[in-house]
Amino acid sequence: MKHLALGLALAAGLASPAAAEPVTVNLARFFGACENAGTDTKTSVGEACIIQSIINAASKEIPDVTVKTLPTDWGNYYDHVKAMFAAGNPPDIFVIHRSSIPEFASLGALADIGPDLKAAGIDTSDWTEGAKKAVTYDGKIVAVPMDFHANLWHVNMDIMKKAGLVKDGKPILPHSPEELLAQAKKVKEATGKDYLAADFSQFPIGVRLVLSLIWQQGSNIFDGDTATIDTPEALNAVKAITQLFDGGYANPKLNYADSQQEFLNGNAAVLVNGTWVVNEYTKQAENPDTGLKDYYVSDFPQLFGQPATWADNHTWAIPSTLKDQHPEKYKAALKVAAFIYNHDADWARTGHMAVRKSVLESKAYRDLPHRAEYVGTEKIAHDTPASPEYSKIQDALNRNLQSIWLTGKDPKKALAEAQNEVQDILDQ
Amino acid sequence: MARQTTGKRKRTLSQQQAAWALLAPFLATYCAFLVYPFFKGVWISLHDWNLLAVAMNPAAAKWVGLHNYVHMLWGRNITWGPLSHPLVQLLALAVLAGAFGLHRAGRLSGRSAIPIAIAALLIFLLLGFTPGEGGRWFDRRFWPTVGNTVLFVTLAAPGTTIAALLLAAALNRETRMMAVFRTLFFLSQVLSVTVVTLIWQIMFSPTQGLIDNVIRVFGGSPVSWLTDPHFAMLAIVVTTIWWSLGIAMILFLAGIQDINREIYEAAALDNARGWKSFWFITLPNLKRTITLVVVLQIILHFQVFGQSHLMTQGGPDDRTQVLVRYIYQSAFRDSEIGRASAMAVFLFAIMSVFAVIQFLIGREKSE
Repeated sequence: MKHLALGLALAAGLASPAAAEPVTVNLARFFGACENAGTDTKTSVGEACIIQSIINAASKEIPDVTVKTLPTDWGNYYDHVKAMFAAGNPPDIFVIHRSSIPEFASLGALADIGPDLKAAGIDTSDWTEGAKKAVTYDGKIVAVPMDFHANLWHVNMDIMKKAGLVKDGKPILPHSPEELLAQAKKVKEATGKDYLAADFSQFPIGVRLVLSLIWQQGSNIFDGDTATIDTPEALNAVKAITQLFDGGYANPKLNYADSQQEFLNGNAAVLVNGTWVVNEYTKQAENPDTGLKDYYVSDFPQLFGQPATWADNHTWAIPSTLKDQHPEKYKAALKVAAFIYNHDADWARTGHMAVRKSVLESKAYRDLPHRAEYVGTEKIAHDTPASPEYSKIQDALNRNLQSIWLTGKDPKKALAEAQNEVQDILDQ
Repeated sequence: MARQTTGKRKRTLSQQQAAWALLAPFLATYCAFLVYPFFKGVWISLHDWNLLAVAMNPAAAKWVGLHNYVHMLWGRNITWGPLSHPLVQLLALAVLAGAFGLHRAGRLSGRSAIPIAIAALLIFLLLGFTPGEGGRWFDRRFWPTVGNTVLFVTLAAPGTTIAALLLAAALNRETRMMAVFRTLFFLSQVLSVTVVTLIWQIMFSPTQGLIDNVIRVFGGSPVSWLTDPHFAMLAIVVTTIWWSLGIAMILFLAGIQDINREIYEAAALDNARGWKSFWFITLPNLKRTITLVVVLQIILHFQVFGQSHLMTQGGPDDRTQVLVRYIYQSAFRDSEIGRASAMAVFLFAIMSVFAVIQFLIGREKSE
């Protein structure tokens, strides 16, 4: 007995210095590069610098934990992360979209962090329902939510005013495809400018726009293992967009950078883009050299029976191998996740919506610029159906929609082909 | 004493041993980084191999034999008709007839005519396969991607060769100015693909690009080079030619400087200068260099990836999707390493064909 007590005391004595040893946590993220982000999480501007300042602050403030940000760029992010997994050297913590969680979680690649959240200081009862759903796979919590983001209607109020489309200081939103077309006509006649700009040619903003319009009619792109793209609802959605191209009210050939440029130069009344640019455009509108002077952000309009807009979540996950093989590192990674989670309000400055009820209800959050203009988005946010094959399906949709608006293919034919292609993916 | 001698003998290697010792580091590296991965790739191509699943559990790789190849090359209800792609197939027939005719007329040797004829016949035969009633390809993107890659190579390889040849001929003068120009034109070669594509994305931008600004000055309307289905491929070809000019130009300069000066002097006496001397003296004497450059360019451009990936993302509507990008997407985005490896083996086979053509033509010259 004496020996056992001595042994336990010795073990405890040995264990505590080991726990205090500094741990380096490798973190992978997209959001773009920001050098010299510093550690001030309150003043940084734009997605890249805000997230990096939070990470830098985590590295500085969490005792005995150093966070190393791995270089991964946006376009190839998931490919890079998967290659790291395949090489047996995954990041210790990495950002992942809700839409990508099924692919990783279905293979058991993500640690079940549910039981350890409380100890890490994360109170799940503060999460919104949507956030809880986003990070839950097969009944297990596999990630810490950071935000939810959605497509918005970014508006140039000067153009809208000239077209007589402003009432009580708010832009008048279209309520049907016909009204959308009528508004576009008014804008063109009054100002000579385009009505709508978005990336229809590369990044799948156009896909998300069509998805929203399909959801607004209560339809979807697949149901379980059956593709449902070749439908009257999808055709209505596509036609609502193509009528703008046909009338010369929008240019389908703009890519992401050029569509933003058109909007910021004051050449388009509306830009369809996500929540992530609100902070950035607010700053741009303050710059006298920018063509955008009076900036407004509105919820995505309802053109069909029910409101809906495309949405997704950014969440932080930890590889299951880390939990199994390096418990100390796993604990450190969880601390980093908790730190980022605790800075949800700082991150929300980007324009993304918070996932913590306490932040959503705070005055500081509500007072953020333009925030009051799109509070409704939270209620109309719609998810893509969960599927391990989602990125492939989105790509198939993107290519087939591009063939409609860039090569003039018959929408019915293109949707039939998209239907076949997605069905093939689901059948595999 | 005796002991010392044996000791010395032990330390001396025979010539054969020395050769092996010197070769060993190279052979080890070659096997580890080229031979082994190649055979491993072929091995993987015979499996249903999900990148993430196998990373989590090595037993997840399933042997499927040639299934990946069948899936890649074939479809349901594929039939053969003589003119499914009339334009290309008729062109291939014309080339076939041309090669035969030139050979009969003694203008083309058998060793040159045969590979050309085989290539033309293959194009004619392969393009005849199409899905019949209710049929379709198992992988609808594969053959169009191969087509895009071939189109890219047929534009970029001759484009680079001709541009480099003209530049080399123009810059082959021993003045300081020409040396500066040669350096300038070579400089593009040292840039990385990221920098090159960034420069050209800015050049091609319809809102702020140089090209469209020039078009505007002349009263034209801007073109969305990278997102217009008619121009996207051309745009990445132009970028590629600009990027890969350097090496080809240096090879041509070396080739031109190898030509005996006396031939030019003799020609000058017969009043052959400028274009005439280029056409009748420089070109015929550069035949071997031209062959070398063309084959090098073909093999190089079949592996195009960065330009398409970074400038157009394979779009619009897959018009600039090329084989290596498809392999990359299948392997990493779709996690289908088995299928991607099968495509890589296919690409290897195509490039081997060109290596064999070069070998045949090269052998003919040396005889």
